[in-house]
Amino acid sequence: MTTKQDTQADVLPYEEPSGIEQFQETLREYGVTRAVTYGLLGVFLVWTLFPVYWLVTATLKTRQTLLSFPPQWIPLDAQFGNFAQLFAQRPDFVQFIINSTVVTITTTILATTIGAMAAYAFVTFDYPYNLDFHLPFYILSTRFMPPIVTIIPLFVIFRGVGLVNSLQGLILVYTMFNIPFAVWMMKGFFEEVPDSLIESAMIDGHTHLGAFFKIVLPLVKPGLIASAIFTTIITWNELLFAVILALNANAMTVPVGLASFVTKFSVQWINMSVGATIALVPVLLFAFIARQQLVRGFSMGAVGK
Amino acid sequence: MVTVNYDSVKKAYGDTIAIEDVNLHVDDGEFAILLGPSGCGKTTTLRCLAGLTQPTDGTITLDGHDVTDVHPKNRNIAMVFQNFALYPHMTVRENIGYPLKVAGKSKDEREERIDEVAEMLEIPELLDRDIANLSGGQQQRVALGRAIIRRPAVFLMDEPLANLDAKLKISMRSRIKVLQREMDITTMYVTHDQEEAMSLGDKLIIMDKGHIQQIGSPDEVYHQPANQFVAGFIGSPSMNFVTVRRDGDRIRADDAPDTFDVELDSEVADRYRDHETFTLGVRPQYFEVHTERTDNAIEAAVEVTEPQGDEQIIEVEVGDQPVSLTVVAPSAIDAERGDTVWLTLDDDLVHGFDTDSGRRIVGAGDQNRGVASTPEGEMTSD
Ligand SMILES: Nc1ncnc2c1ncn2[C@@H]1O[C@H](COP(=O)(O)OP(=O)(O)OP(=O)(O)O)[C@@H](O)[C@H]1O
Ligand SMILES: [Mg+2]
Repeated sequence: MTTKQDTQADVLPYEEPSGIEQFQETLREYGVTRAVTYGLLGVFLVWTLFPVYWLVTATLKTRQTLLSFPPQWIPLDAQFGNFAQLFAQRPDFVQFIINSTVVTITTTILATTIGAMAAYAFVTFDYPYNLDFHLPFYILSTRFMPPIVTIIPLFVIFRGVGLVNSLQGLILVYTMFNIPFAVWMMKGFFEEVPDSLIESAMIDGHTHLGAFFKIVLPLVKPGLIASAIFTTIITWNELLFAVILALNANAMTVPVGLASFVTKFSVQWINMSVGATIALVPVLLFAFIARQQLVRGFSMGAVGK
Repeated sequence: MVTVNYDSVKKAYGDTIAIEDVNLHVDDGEFAILLGPSGCGKTTTLRCLAGLTQPTDGTITLDGHDVTDVHPKNRNIAMVFQNFALYPHMTVRENIGYPLKVAGKSKDEREERIDEVAEMLEIPELLDRDIANLSGGQQQRVALGRAIIRRPAVFLMDEPLANLDAKLKISMRSRIKVLQREMDITTMYVTHDQEEAMSLGDKLIIMDKGHIQQIGSPDEVYHQPANQFVAGFIGSPSMNFVTVRRDGDRIRADDAPDTFDVELDSEVADRYRDHETFTLGVRPQYFEVHTERTDNAIEAAVEVTEPQGDEQIIEVEVGDQPVSLTVVAPSAIDAERGDTVWLTLDDDLVHGFDTDSGRRIVGAGDQNRGVASTPEGEMTSD
């Protein structure tokens, strides 16, 4: 018979055998040579990176060279004025960036904090009726239906309480939207923190809350960062809810701004490319800075090596 | 002065009763061992004192103060967990000094105490290492260091040596004993290893199925077991139990009345005068093995012999509906499977247990009569 304490993860160090060489061996057996591997990788790279390249180079082209045929693969006379032009033609784009930043940062902080606290509670405490097992599932189930079906009721409710066209409204929706993900992501991390660490911290003089902040949180930092990055990406790029709930410049976010370059009469390709490139930078930067934590967040548990 | 007292402590998880009716007392500076088979409630008993488990019933006092509802952080207790529970994101130094840091001690004082403790445990060279790349034995010492640095009122250890290899276990065992003596800290220590328990403890608290079976010194529990459970649990190899029928001074095994038929010293037999049948308990060491027919001996067939160096363990069978016995004999005795041997009993050292209640029968003239401090109330046994 094993008890909860008996099954705690052993914290002794151990060496994970590297499977890379075995994997390469297997590939060779199936006739996948190095050349084929690199060929496939090349195709994949072009497939994923070319659109980005095309987008970024488009910011330096004129409308004519962008749409010319045969295409101009490399922008020959760079039009750096395109950036200034965007802000000259659409001064409120600055406001969109500010809105997006405020919404994204607030949502990320809220969703990660609430999600982490909820996940910790589910992992640590026993609830009546086995709710610590059922509730996380119900939380996840809020994401089962297509998001669009909730928009009409949300719009009606938000209009009633004056949250339409407000950043608060967007933050509320996005936080709700991201919490399930944060809960499930963090749950896995908290489960890997042995109970004995928390108990040990309490015996060493902490309250339970103190043990949570000083011992548990530092251990699950990779998980926190990974779920923060995800929340950031999802929120920063979200279009569907924003386009319905934020219709004027006070609350419009960057994706809505970009969509507005498509009008009934024309598509402002250059402005759109410039805007999209600007939108790309912060997320890319954030992910780049945190990439080490991000990889750790996905490839190993809290207490790992 | 730190004494520990449990008064009728009970812990139930739903319908499962983890421990019940636990009454015990640990004196100042005493090394008390909780010993028993897996699942008997040792950890639960310990955790109740640490405050990590809330008893369903009963009170626990430290120095006369009721601490039953006190938060673990306010009990001034240190604990070493079986998996060591070191903080993986801190260095050895930070781990050992952590209780002092939480207590708000200055950095200088912390450093001084850390060095002192590291010196005691002979790990000064490990201080700036990460926890992750320490060996099991090194982690164990760090865990000990973190526990003793605060000079706690009570020191709790839950199978701290279970994850170490046999050799390291023995050296850590003596280190723990020396530390405990030097620091003179009241200690409660959980183990299911009776050898460890006998060599470490001043007082053994033997548990089974959530109940305390006997509390006594290592000598008492070995020589004066309160009941059949304790008698069978302590000692290696385990005590032999045979149901016997008494006829005057003679006893005959129920299952092999013709072969297992010995006459006891009348003074010994007198102890059992109120029992017509009882369970005879004989440690394997208390048989004498003869290779020739001997008076008042039990004839037995050798089944297995296990050489152990100076001595050997011999499994024998007695009678047709065989009664199996384990005996320990000097290795000089030449016995092989299929051989016949004759066993004589060391009368004075045999025990008798009430077949129904399992309690040891203590009669007049029993030199082992010294009544062990057994808990009141019903005794459970197999
Ligand atoms: N959190 C819990 N929930 C339910 N039952 C529990 C819990 N903790 C312990 N128990 C039960 O209580 C009983 C005593 O457990 P305990 O851990 O105290 O045993 P132990 O003597 O320490 O055993 P071991 O030597 O295996 O560690 C067991 O039957 C166990 O299943
Ligand atoms: Mg245990």
